[in-house]
Amino acid sequence: MAELSAIGKNSIRVDAMDKVTGRATYAGDVYLPGMLMCKIMTSTRSHAKIVSIDTTAAQALPGVRCVITGSDYPDVRFGSGALKDRRIMAREEVFYIGEPVAAVAADDEITALEAIGLIEIKYEDIKHVVDPLQAISGKSVDVHTDLEDFEGFGFALGGNNCTMLDSDRGDVEQGFKDSDVIIEETYHTQPISQGFLEPMACVADVEANGRLDIYASTQGPYQVRSQLASVLEMSIGNIKVTAMEMGGGFGAKLRLALEGFPAMLAIKTGKPVKLVNTREEAFTLNGPRLETNIYLKTGVTNDGNILAREARSVFDVGAYLGAGPNAGVGHGLGAYSIPNFKLRSYGVYTNKLYVGSYRASGVADMNFATESHTDVIAHKLGIDPMEFRIKNALSEGDTAVNGSTIPVNGLMETILAVKERMGLPKKMEEGRGVGIAVGEWRSGSGPSTASISVNEDGTVSLLTGSVDISGSDTSLAQIAAESLGLRLEQVVVAKRNTDMAPFTGPSGGSRIVYSQGRAVQNAAEDTKAKLLDLAADWLGVQADALECAGGSVYVQDNPPQSLDLGQLARMSLTSRGGPIIGIASLSSLPYAPVFNAQAAEVIVDRETGQVRVTRFVQAQDIGKAINPMGVEGQLEGGAVQGIGRALSEEILIDKETGQIRNPSLATYLMPLSVDMPDIENILVEVPSADGPFGARAVAESPGFGPPAAIANAIFDAVGVRIKTLPLSAERVLAAIQGRDADEYTVDSEALRAAESV
Amino acid sequence: MKKQLQITVNGELRQALVEPYYSLLDTLRDEMQLTGTKKGCDEGDCGACTVLLNGKPVCSCLVLAHAAHDAEVITIEGVANGQELHPVQKAFVEHGGLQCGYCTPGIILSTVGFLESGEEPSEENIKHALGGNLCRCTGYTKVIESVLVAVKATNQESEE
Repeated sequence: MAELSAIGKNSIRVDAMDKVTGRATYAGDVYLPGMLMCKIMTSTRSHAKIVSIDTTAAQALPGVRCVITGSDYPDVRFGSGALKDRRIMAREEVFYIGEPVAAVAADDEITALEAIGLIEIKYEDIKHVVDPLQAISGKSVDVHTDLEDFEGFGFALGGNNCTMLDSDRGDVEQGFKDSDVIIEETYHTQPISQGFLEPMACVADVEANGRLDIYASTQGPYQVRSQLASVLEMSIGNIKVTAMEMGGGFGAKLRLALEGFPAMLAIKTGKPVKLVNTREEAFTLNGPRLETNIYLKTGVTNDGNILAREARSVFDVGAYLGAGPNAGVGHGLGAYSIPNFKLRSYGVYTNKLYVGSYRASGVADMNFATESHTDVIAHKLGIDPMEFRIKNALSEGDTAVNGSTIPVNGLMETILAVKERMGLPKKMEEGRGVGIAVGEWRSGSGPSTASISVNEDGTVSLLTGSVDISGSDTSLAQIAAESLGLRLEQVVVAKRNTDMAPFTGPSGGSRIVYSQGRAVQNAAEDTKAKLLDLAADWLGVQADALECAGGSVYVQDNPPQSLDLGQLARMSLTSRGGPIIGIASLSSLPYAPVFNAQAAEVIVDRETGQVRVTRFVQAQDIGKAINPMGVEGQLEGGAVQGIGRALSEEILIDKETGQIRNPSLATYLMPLSVDMPDIENILVEVPSADGPFGARAVAESPGFGPPAAIANAIFDAVGVRIKTLPLSAERVLAAIQGRDADEYTVDSEALRAAESV
Repeated sequence: MKKQLQITVNGELRQALVEPYYSLLDTLRDEMQLTGTKKGCDEGDCGACTVLLNGKPVCSCLVLAHAAHDAEVITIEGVANGQELHPVQKAFVEHGGLQCGYCTPGIILSTVGFLESGEEPSEENIKHALGGNLCRCTGYTKVIESVLVAVKATNQESEE
């Protein structure tokens, strides 16, 4: 391959100037003439029948334009995935504290808020359940008694178990019989927030012809469009969604969030309606991650071969099924070759805010469990944890848990890179320790499209439907520039909406650079072929004698014989083929795994239990770094989210009512600049077969390893094993002092028995 | 009841008629169309709304608009000199100090305020100066790197 000119170079983000000058426009920055403000009223009951809602006083308040309740919406359910279990607004029943029950549009926000206070709701309480382990035991009330009637209901145990996923291979019982050592453990992870800085915001307007015009803070404008169409029973063609600049989503903004409220109010009033969440609402109205309880049983030989794994992972999904349980089977093995396994994952309803997506939902939870467990096994066998991992690591040609054959990858390179950089194995002084964790992900796929048109001055305009959540617009522009032999600044990335840009999947699962990037590369190739054809006509040579580089198309054997892209674009206007536009469309790309290894050094204060991360090293196989500066930014940001998950972040949920007790940034503790160690990144580049220029996914993986790496480092430092997140000072201190820590037990016997009924 | 108020914002005398409970943040955004200043929490926890009030960084959500009467305020829209970026802005652009951009205006104002405070611009002090600015995307590494670059650029400028 010729030397690359745009790919692999640190590139300034295409949106950087707008963002440092305050010009970038987020959904909350949209102000339309005559705009009303919306506020939402939510349930104060954990589970109750709605006996009556009286909105008379609210409607009579001067400045109030409209009040809506659940009965203003069509009687339809929708869902985050296949299971349609949720209503946009409660109708006869509420299922958790915080569920929307009414909304108001008023001339200003304070009037809307006052109106909310005037709405009177009478409830009749129903029994409820908060603890997912109790909810799945069959001994509690059912959250949804009509579960089996929900559209999309599939395989599950019933009761509160709304989904059960499985994956089996080999003979797991025989594997345990053949093992020398069997280790059984349960790990517990905490409810956690995505922590985006920009609270959800949306402006809805109705055009004169009745079309809905939505300005949203979203990662998935086409998903918002289709879900909105279904809850409003409107045609998709009558909805336009503009994804504004987005102030962080991390999965929270993948689907329809709160757009349905201002949308309905705009339809009813004929005026633009704006909704901006408060920070409290950012915690209580949008699905966070909820707790998981992960049972692992592993059989190994004395010389360190893993023979069998049973995993039963219980995901609390709250009142409605969101993302997550998939990880219980997809990530039940870790990055290891295990010949016999039985993996089960359970989604369990409870009466609390429904679960949302967050940076590879559930994988960080699974990784904490499996990578802590890996360390426990290694120590039990007296084998160095790094060597144990190397011995069992997946390699090319093995079968992945999803049944795919593992293609060429950089797993071993990442492990060895971290081993070398950290100087492992090493014994640190008392109170200090080092721990490692290995992670696996797959480059995200799904529908991807792109079009490129050549402008009369030789610049090109790139149009894709994807939302930039990670610097992907810059990478996509680099891919287009590289493919067409242009400089980055010659590629214009269009601001777009769902009317203008072709359909694409949401920006999630680290799919944009891998899949959308491939579409951009294909569109650029299509553009280039058309440029060459046109130039061939004019230059009187065969197209295959031409090259496209440096802003021109030229004859390879005689470079002075050339036409620049601007000339070709102008000529194309009157050519047979018409103006030059290249397009590409694809639905999926093959499996391209992403492996990473992470290591943390910690100091543990024996007096207080306080854990401080003093050094963090990570290596990831990113295939090819399109924009190394952007890749590093993703790796650093992901790792710090993982460190927050490991040490301090936790949504506190009232055990009696299911209510969120700490909905503020003063009580939900995200890492600050003062808390963070320097993070060292090692970019391993083993090209994928299908990603653009060999690129693989980047952004999900760095958040996986910190909890297990830090837990393993704590064990190395002070000899205590914490199996519950976060690894808070009080928890670590209790373990050091030998006091009983909080114990969680998944009743694996009962789950096995339920399955065989 | 709404009361008249005047503030010098980015060197320009601005007047507005606002309610006594209105924050400086809401006044800038809703009344003066300066939406570059962001609302992340409205509780003083995240720092996204940081502006310079008489030269000092403050959370504009915690300042009542009328308390800023006759004051001088610099928002993100007033940091650059026309088309020419401030060295802090330039460093953030060139060194990857921003991602989603929502915390960026506040971080830039905190940084500008810190550099103008005359405090020793050590890495430790920089981290503390930005201790009230949450960022969820970058993990702070490139934010701190960008500030260190800006410190260097500012020093060179003052030596010239």
